[in-house]
Amino acid sequence: MTADTTWHAGHTLLRAYVEGRLDAVLGASLERHLDGCPACRADIRPLVDPPLLDQSWSGLRTAVESPPPPWLVRLARRLGLPESTGVLLAATASLRTAWLSSAFVALGFAVAATLLRGDVLWPFLLVAPLIPVLGVAAAYGPSEDPFEALAVTAPYGRTRLILVRSLAVLVTSVPGACLLGLAVPGPAWVAVAWLGPALTMLPLVLALASWVGPRLAGAVMALVWCGVVLGSVRRLPATWPVEATQQLTYLALATAAVAVLLVRSRRTRRIGAVL
Amino acid sequence: METADGNHQARGDADLLRAAADGDLAALRELHDRHAPWLTARLLRRCNDREVVVDVVQDTFLTMWQDARKWRGDGELAGWLWGIAFRRMVSRLRARKAVVLMPDWDAGATGMLPAAEDQVLLGVEYGDLGDALRRLSPAFRAVVQACVLDGLTTREASRLLGVRENTVKTRLHRAKAQLRCSLADARLEGWR
Repeated sequence: MTADTTWHAGHTLLRAYVEGRLDAVLGASLERHLDGCPACRADIRPLVDPPLLDQSWSGLRTAVESPPPPWLVRLARRLGLPESTGVLLAATASLRTAWLSSAFVALGFAVAATLLRGDVLWPFLLVAPLIPVLGVAAAYGPSEDPFEALAVTAPYGRTRLILVRSLAVLVTSVPGACLLGLAVPGPAWVAVAWLGPALTMLPLVLALASWVGPRLAGAVMALVWCGVVLGSVRRLPATWPVEATQQLTYLALATAAVAVLLVRSRRTRRIGAVL
Repeated sequence: METADGNHQARGDADLLRAAADGDLAALRELHDRHAPWLTARLLRRCNDREVVVDVVQDTFLTMWQDARKWRGDGELAGWLWGIAFRRMVSRLRARKAVVLMPDWDAGATGMLPAAEDQVLLGVEYGDLGDALRRLSPAFRAVVQACVLDGLTTREASRLLGVRENTVKTRLHRAKAQLRCSLADARLEGWR
């Protein structure tokens, strides 16, 4: 800017600026000058409260010297989520790389089985909806979470925690499963139609879990879904489990499950009793 | 580290930034020593919460360190830092209301008459514009301060000032028109 000007701000002016005694026009003029004048910027240094600078340096130093957080925490921060949420997400069992990769290996096998036979859909329809459902069921619960005890005592709504984690599980598992679904033979809409039963089973699992806990609820839900898909294999068309009439039934079931959840969380006041 | 300080003092900002990105803590320290004071002072004029200011300064340097490779090296590092810092501060508004203040346009104007050196400063930088700015209504000044002087986008300014984006645009437009008018008046009065 005006780097080559011979004028420099005097001590009184800088002091008035630092102490907030300059009006905005003078202040803005001085700031424009400081933008291009390293000498005046250096003159400000003794005028600023040393503790403030020490505090910011020690914080900066700690941050620079500490190891980088897990990729999930960094991703969450990049997306604008608070760091606390990121840490809670990173501790979710079903968001760990091992869980995600095993889920997709299972789905990969299902897709491969469907492709090899060519005329069946059931392996894909069986596995795809269960991935987010079991992911959500495993996203909380005493046995899977290494810091469950911390999570329960943290001042962070349990329902909110579960919803945030469920959402994260959906975000991580659904797009990949949809892409794999495109590889499956049969009508293209099957690649997204399995979301109907998947999204139905989520509230069902949560509602069931409020009585019997997430592990049993996940297992029951998986068995029921296996029954539905395998039962339809013999006599009904391959896409039967995801056709329009069935989707309406799923919608009704989902609504009922949400209603049950709402009623139960209204009735029970004890923290963590429902979800 | 103490011995390295001597070498660091003579080096340019770009040089130091490169060294800091490669893990040279002394270089980062020197950058902090050079830029944290004015950044702190400038933020304190806009925010009454010292904790927030320290946080923002610290965040700014951390971002600078992490994104060191993104700095193209043209222009002053100071301008880049200010851009990061003030945006950080504005985004704080979402979490904590009423932390960010705009510089006071009236305080000090009467209490402290511009000394000779300030007159020089005004002459160098704004001249007639200073008077024209003072004549704006407070709402317009705030918009000019945010959009023109502090370099925010209208979107960021609307968040800072708590008004809609369109309002910011209209006010900025009108403020410019008023400035143009009063500058023209000032010139004409001089020639009368």
